[in-house]
Amino acid sequence: MNTELLIQLLVNGTIIGTLYGVVAMCFTLIYKSTKIINFAQGEFLLIGAWVCWWILNQFDISFIFAFLLCLCFMMLLGILLQVLILKPMIGQPIISVIMVTIGLSIFFQAAMKWIFGVAPQPFPIVFETKSVEILGLNVQTAYIMSMAISLVIMVGFAWFFKYSRMGLAMRATAFDQQVAQSMGISVKRVFAMSWAISAMVSAMAGIVVGMVNGVSTGLSHFGIKVFPAIILGGLDSIIGAIVGGLIIGILENLAEFVDGQYLNWGNMYNIAPFYVLIIILMIRPYGLFGTKDIERI
Amino acid sequence: MRKSLKGLVMALSSIMLPGTGSAEDYIQVGNLVDFTGASSTVGKPYGQGKMDAMNYINENGGINGKLLDFETFDASYVVPRAIATYKKWVSRKKVVFIQGWGTSDTEALITFVTRDEVPYMSASYSGHLTDPKGLGPDTTKGAPYNFFFGPSYSDGSRALIQWAAKDWADKGGEGKPKYVFMGDNHPFPNAPRAASLSYAEELGFEVLPDIQYSLSPGDFKAQCLTLKESGANYAFLANTSGSSISILNSCDTVGVDVQFMSNIWGYGEDVMAASGTSANGVVWVMGAAKWGDDVPGMETVKAVSAMSDPSVEEYRAVHYIRGVCSVFFMKEAMEWADENGGLTGPNIKEGFYQRKDWVPAGMEGVCPKATWTADDHRGNTLVYIYRGQVTGDTSGSNIASLMKDGIIGMAKVGESDIPRRPEWLGQ
Amino acid sequence: MSGSEMLPCGDFRTSYKADSTIFSTKWIRMSAVLTIVGCLFIPFIFDLYVLNLMIQIAYLGIAALGLNILVGFTGQISLGHSAFFGVGAFASAYMNNQWGIPVFLAIPLAGLWTTAAGMIVGIPAGRIKGLYLAIATLAGQIIIQDFFSRAGWFTGGAYGALAEPVTIFGYVFDTDERFFYIALFYLVIMYVLGTNLMRTRDGRAFIAVRDHYLSAEIMGVNLTKYRIMSFGISSFYAGVGGALFAHYLGFVSVESFDLLLSIQFLSMIIIGGLGSVSGALLGTVFMVLLPEVMEFGVSLLATTTWGDIPAITEGLAYIKEMSIGLAIVLFLIFEPEGLAHRWSLIKSYWKLYPFSY
Repeated sequence: MNTELLIQLLVNGTIIGTLYGVVAMCFTLIYKSTKIINFAQGEFLLIGAWVCWWILNQFDISFIFAFLLCLCFMMLLGILLQVLILKPMIGQPIISVIMVTIGLSIFFQAAMKWIFGVAPQPFPIVFETKSVEILGLNVQTAYIMSMAISLVIMVGFAWFFKYSRMGLAMRATAFDQQVAQSMGISVKRVFAMSWAISAMVSAMAGIVVGMVNGVSTGLSHFGIKVFPAIILGGLDSIIGAIVGGLIIGILENLAEFVDGQYLNWGNMYNIAPFYVLIIILMIRPYGLFGTKDIERI
Repeated sequence: MRKSLKGLVMALSSIMLPGTGSAEDYIQVGNLVDFTGASSTVGKPYGQGKMDAMNYINENGGINGKLLDFETFDASYVVPRAIATYKKWVSRKKVVFIQGWGTSDTEALITFVTRDEVPYMSASYSGHLTDPKGLGPDTTKGAPYNFFFGPSYSDGSRALIQWAAKDWADKGGEGKPKYVFMGDNHPFPNAPRAASLSYAEELGFEVLPDIQYSLSPGDFKAQCLTLKESGANYAFLANTSGSSISILNSCDTVGVDVQFMSNIWGYGEDVMAASGTSANGVVWVMGAAKWGDDVPGMETVKAVSAMSDPSVEEYRAVHYIRGVCSVFFMKEAMEWADENGGLTGPNIKEGFYQRKDWVPAGMEGVCPKATWTADDHRGNTLVYIYRGQVTGDTSGSNIASLMKDGIIGMAKVGESDIPRRPEWLGQ
Repeated sequence: MSGSEMLPCGDFRTSYKADSTIFSTKWIRMSAVLTIVGCLFIPFIFDLYVLNLMIQIAYLGIAALGLNILVGFTGQISLGHSAFFGVGAFASAYMNNQWGIPVFLAIPLAGLWTTAAGMIVGIPAGRIKGLYLAIATLAGQIIIQDFFSRAGWFTGGAYGALAEPVTIFGYVFDTDERFFYIALFYLVIMYVLGTNLMRTRDGRAFIAVRDHYLSAEIMGVNLTKYRIMSFGISSFYAGVGGALFAHYLGFVSVESFDLLLSIQFLSMIIIGGLGSVSGALLGTVFMVLLPEVMEFGVSLLATTTWGDIPAITEGLAYIKEMSIGLAIVLFLIFEPEGLAHRWSLIKSYWKLYPFSY
């Protein structure tokens, strides 16, 4: 067995896994606060990457400023979406909610193609050194940055939800909206904030992937890849999302290892997470960390 | 979506009425393009080339005085839309020729165009379209009305394998070189697969198991690690340019030492500009000259380009030039048909068989010579092989300036005339 | 049972059978029959382009009705409908090519084949609910699509499969005008069957499962059985629709059955109205005509001087796609119960005038 290749694939998997984890975290954040399943998560990555690319190409400013500008834009976008589109959806059956976000995802995908074209574009070079070697694998500097930021975000989220007022407000709203409202928490603001945060963090993930692979429509596929991670971890658990993302990233690369060395089917890298998804749904639908839904008769 | 004015007026006026007949001195042509769909990175230049060429022909005497009335439809690589438009064109517009686009819609329309007797010139160079009478051993159905200008995908891969064998010998490689086929499991990348694997074995390569990577852009480091592990010497990239960019980037990061060889649609100036130095050294199939080559026909191409870019500043991709060639072949076939029995579908088809080693007037040096016969629709068997060079940072500049400054470039490294073996017909 | 028809005052139903008729009054029955007879003349009035749209409405409408039975009547969200559509298409082509079954029989047989596939999917899916089911069907869609591209023996793999036109006693239905009758035939039959299904015991069981599955289970409705049955029946419809699609196009390839098509089916029934048979057809008409209207609008815009900019003229395909997404969102915000509901509101306005509230 080729241990060197295996280790390299595992390192690759961990790095991609942190990105999946970050995106899954955003998804879970929205679900936890507003009970909405956001099928348009992948498009947030796409929009963030394109906007940052555009800012960097149009204006001659440093990367940090462009990054912050992009985050501001995404925050506004998140709030706008919540106010315009998702408020009317409160109380609607779940199929309507799913379909609204699916409709948004189609709209954004087409809009991005219209505004920026379909050709993948390279990201302007940000870091001087392109890659660093870890355990035999060349890891791009952008990924190192993303891992650092992901860790900061995860710790930040954990602190935010446990100790800050807004975080507590979000958890209260997620638990029971009516009670939270009667306690004086502005549910409107909580919703808007959760969408804003989710959009911003997804945009960050999108920018990172864009830096490495170029900005293209493939970014929205992240949104689909993330579903196995969320189900694995549990829909309403932030820790579960992170763990799920890591597991899926590693699993993909393991599947590629098995496929490349032994099976030679060719498609395991793409398909394995979905098989796992189905299996998890069969045996443990609430995932590793999710709360079980107890039905009262 | 640009329609000629007459076409637009007719479209508006005939929305509810069954199609009115077209005027005597207009030739009805349908033009399928992909400006916005999955293959639009290469679809845009090719489609633009066709439109500019047809406009150029109209400005310069038309077909013996008759003008081309062409309607352009962007099917976004969605097959049912293409088929619906095809039916509209056949019933209302009464087209006598169709300039088509991709593999899926072309193959879907084979039975339709055969039944309706409309010659169809596609941008798909799939081997299945080369057998008009169904004589080849692997052909499922004959395609008598399908033509394409360019080396078939299978011939293209064979030429690359020939080049690879020569390159291995020149480098002094010992033992059998290792060859791997990389592509997505889809009709377009799969088209040359069987041909390329059997030919590689025939030429003495050790054929490794395929590596699959998606047609849409993404992160392919895992596949590149597998590639690196396999120790392949030559890897054929069968996907389109979107994913070529990603895989070249990923493999460059991982540090794979392999000679990449790409199919005709999977590489070009756009990939070089988007991938930067990771795209350096890739060898690929070209079907015509490139923009700015010092050949007599380039003047005509520049005049054609001026139809949509009067300043002639814009750098035209290699796919643009092949689009122009396709239209010029159609023009001469139509001219022959007009003089020999009238402009009907079957007559124009006959017009394709009239010349051997055919280069359209005004395109010398740009379009390689083509020969079509009633039994063999393999028009070009001459394949040009070029190598791309990228020497610096390509982000933030457009292709014209990158080419001018020499940061990206391409040089011919070989050419190959693939023999017309009968068992290869239809494959 | 008598739907939302406004019966004239004094028209009381005295038997259960009379109460559950599909056509509640003589006029409604006659107008339905007349509409069908009128449809027989469509190929003579309209040209190929409009015919093509109508045939699309027919086969997509059949599949949409199947999805409405699953989603609207039984409450199971499914994002994998286009995979079943594809199974029907490939199955019909396969049976006709490999086993020589005549196409007219192959279409319903393909439906049965797809029913088997649907029930296999339904077995695990019967235990999952709500969002998890949506995600599971999404995964199922991706897996089945991958299976299509790998299973060369079934689908022809890379090259797709050829599908022959319909032949009955030697009369070949290969032109659009002729195929229209086949499509109309299947459309009418499947819709009548669907409407009938909803007034039977099983149909009512589906609605019970949707509305409050706990109570349904307590009342003795076997949830798993009906969920599997619902998947099976909706797959039958998808299979028949897919088979019609295959024999119309003459060529089936794996790329046609992607996630976007699944989403389009869902939007058809949502725009049309969940849980309504006529809604499925209305929604299909809307979704098929929407790109055409967009194209017409853009070409109109292009004739004006301010509208003739490349952003609009070359962006037509994007505008079409954006309009699909936008239509879904706007309908869900402003008309969540769909076109069927809006239509019944319009009808009741006229019937109750001037007391239209």
